[in-house]
Amino acid sequence: MSLLTNVMDHGLDEGYAEAAAARGGARDSRIPRTARGLLTLGAGLALVGAVVTVGAVNARKAEPTLAKERDALIHRINDSNGSADRLQKQVQDLRRKVDDTQQQALPSGGGDAAGLAGAVGLGEVTGPGVKLVLEDAAGTGLGGNVDPRAGQGFSNSGRLRDRDLQLVVNGLWGAGAEAVSINGQRLTALSAIRAAGEAVLVDNRPLVPPYTVLAIGDGPKVLDAFEGEMAGSYLRLLQEKYGIKSTLSVQKSLTLPAAVGVTLRTAQPATPEPTPTPTSTAAPTATPTEASTATPGTPISPSASVSPSASAGGGSGSGRRTPSGAAKTTSAHSPTTASTGPSSAGTGAARP
Amino acid sequence: MIAVLGLVIGVVVGLFVQPEVPDAVVPYLPIAVVAALDAVFGAVRAMLDGIFNDKVFVVSFLSNVVVAALIVFLGDQLGVGSQLSTGVVVVLGIRIFSNAAAIRRHVFRA
Repeated sequence: MSLLTNVMDHGLDEGYAEAAAARGGARDSRIPRTARGLLTLGAGLALVGAVVTVGAVNARKAEPTLAKERDALIHRINDSNGSADRLQKQVQDLRRKVDDTQQQALPSGGGDAAGLAGAVGLGEVTGPGVKLVLEDAAGTGLGGNVDPRAGQGFSNSGRLRDRDLQLVVNGLWGAGAEAVSINGQRLTALSAIRAAGEAVLVDNRPLVPPYTVLAIGDGPKVLDAFEGEMAGSYLRLLQEKYGIKSTLSVQKSLTLPAAVGVTLRTAQPATPEPTPTPTSTAAPTATPTEASTATPGTPISPSASVSPSASAGGGSGSGRRTPSGAAKTTSAHSPTTASTGPSSAGTGAARP
Repeated sequence: MIAVLGLVIGVVVGLFVQPEVPDAVVPYLPIAVVAALDAVFGAVRAMLDGIFNDKVFVVSFLSNVVVAALIVFLGDQLGVGSQLSTGVVVVLGIRIFSNAAAIRRHVFRA
C-alpha cells in the first residue's frame, strides 16, 4: 500500500517545495518575474507543445499508412480472385476441349462419350428426381458447424453414420435412380462412402450435415420404390428410434454435377475371336487422350460395378477375350486405381 | 503572456516543421507525451500553490520524458516493454489525476 499512497500523495514534484523552501518559504511566486525565468518558462512550454504536437501528428500519420496497407491487401485479394476466375475459366475451356477431342477420337459408330459420361458420373446431368434430406437428431450439438474435437462422435446415436448413408444410397440405386449425389458430390461406380474420425466422407471429402441426397430418376416411381423397400423402412426406424430426420420429396428438375478426379475409359471386347494378337490390335485405336471406345449396351448397373473385380475386368479387357467375354464392360477408372495405368488403358482400347 | 506565446510557438513548430521522428524513437513518443502532460499539470498546480519555479519545471519535464522513455526502452530490451509502458502510464496517469484534482480544488474551491 505504501507504493500506492506514495504515488497518490506525491503528485507534485518535490522539487517545487524544495525550491520554495530555498527561497525562504515565500509562497507568492506564481509566475516568474525575471526575464530569464520568463524565457525558461516559455522555452519549456514550447518544448511541451512541440512534444505533444509531434506525438499527435505522428499518431495521425500512422493511420493512412495502415489504410494504405489494407488497400494493398484488398488489391492483392482482388487480383488473386481475378486470376483464380481466369484459371477456372481456362479449366472449363480445356475440359470442353478434352471432351471434344474424346468425341473425335472415338471411331465412327463407336459410341457416345458424352452420353456415357453422364451415365457413369463424369458429366453433369439434369432431370427429374427425388431429393432426400437427412438431418442429425436435434441436440447432438453439431448442426451446421461440425467441430470434430468437440462432438461426441458416432457414440452419439443421434448422428447419421456412414453405413446409414450407404444403405440409403444403395436403396436409391435399387429404387431406380440413374444418378446420385450427396451434398454436391457425384457418386460414381468407384465412390466410397465411409467414416473417418467424426465425419462422413464421400470420396475422401468430409460432409457437413444436413446431408442432401439428390437422385435423378422417375421421381414418383423412385419415391414409391424407395419407401417400399428396406432403406425406406430403415429411415423410418432411424426417425423413430433416434430422431434422425429425413425428408423425401419429388423434384421436377435436378442438376447433378460431374464427379471430379475420375477418368473415363471404356472397353469393348466385341466379337468373339479366339486368338487375338494384343499388340497389333491395340495400336490402331489407342488414342492420345486415353479415350477408347465402347458401346454402352447394357445399362450400367452401379451396384455391380462397385466391386473391385468389375473395375479390374475393365483394365484387363483384352485379356479376357473369350467367347463368354462378349459382355460389354464399362467402367470408370479413377487415376489412382492400381490396375489401370496408361498401359492397361492401351490394352483396354484394343479392338479386333 | 510569454507562457502562452511559448506554447503557441511549440504547437506551430510541431505542426509546420513536422520533424521526421526516427523509427527507433517512435514507440517512446506516446510515453513522452504522457510525461510532458504530467510535467505541465504539476507546473500548473505548483503555480496555483504559489511555489512555481521555472527551472524545476523545465528540468522535471525533461527528466520525466527521458526517464519514461528510458524505462520503456529498457523494458523493450528485456522483453517486458508493453508491461513497463503500462506501468509508466499508470503512475503518470495517477499523478496527472491527483494534480488535476488539486488544480480543481484551487479553481473551484471544491
